[in-house]
Amino acid sequence: MTQEQFIDLIRTEQEPLRRFLLGLCSGNASMADDIAQDALVRAYVASGSFLGLSKFSTWLFRIAYNCFVDHYRKSALDTVSDEICEAQNVLSQDATDDAFRYQQLYQALDRIPEKERAAIVLHYFEDYDIKEIASIMQIPSGTVKYLLSTGRNHLKTYLSL
Amino acid sequence: MNGKDNIEEFLRGHKPQVKDDPTFLLETRRRMKQVDGIKAEVDRQHVQSRMALIITLTIGIAIGAIAVFIGYICPARPDTENAGIFASVLLFVTAWKQYFFILLAALSVSLAILLSKTSRA
Repeated sequence: MTQEQFIDLIRTEQEPLRRFLLGLCSGNASMADDIAQDALVRAYVASGSFLGLSKFSTWLFRIAYNCFVDHYRKSALDTVSDEICEAQNVLSQDATDDAFRYQQLYQALDRIPEKERAAIVLHYFEDYDIKEIASIMQIPSGTVKYLLSTGRNHLKTYLSL
Repeated sequence: MNGKDNIEEFLRGHKPQVKDDPTFLLETRRRMKQVDGIKAEVDRQHVQSRMALIITLTIGIAIGAIAVFIGYICPARPDTENAGIFASVLLFVTAWKQYFFILLAALSVSLAILLSKTSRA
């Protein structure tokens, strides 16, 4: 696959990919974009091995998730960074109120385990079904359901809903 | 409305919104170009090492064949009376030289295959 062919393929996928990683990085946009670019480069290098057995987006998200896991293990995101508190990615009419809700959401996402966060982000933000999430995270469907349930319960507690 | 519906509604209503960033694809393209450069360099080195391997193998086989040919047309006549244990070794090698050559050739080919696989990895 040439560079131009690959760029054409990722043109439509880059926004969902960046949104997915933004959720995984709990609102840290610079880290999310850095991981997204790392993932795209890895996907480009491995593009010869893409056999079309799954959707291109599923394959790309799997690579991105693995990149995030690598990054997560290296840096151990254990505190809510200042960037998250600034809620820099919010684009809303009712800025103050919505920014506060996004800030709360990112802080809550940052507190839940990384696998629960990934399942929640994929299901609720990217509208992937259980089977696709299982394929992206390379875990059984039953585990995805469990992660979604525990993730929801954790977020409910942290968001006081 | 129960708690599950509340949280689901909240999450669906608060999808992270990414800023439109025109530099994102440019930066990705720049990184891909760097990767292409590294790939080209690695490929060039692979070709070079494979060529070196082929040349070495060809030269080795040619020298071996010439040696055997010379051995056939000008057989060595060791001084069997004064050479002692060395003479008996030479006689043994002379008698079994075809098999020695086959063994040597097989070893060379195996080594070449092994080396080419290692360099590829």
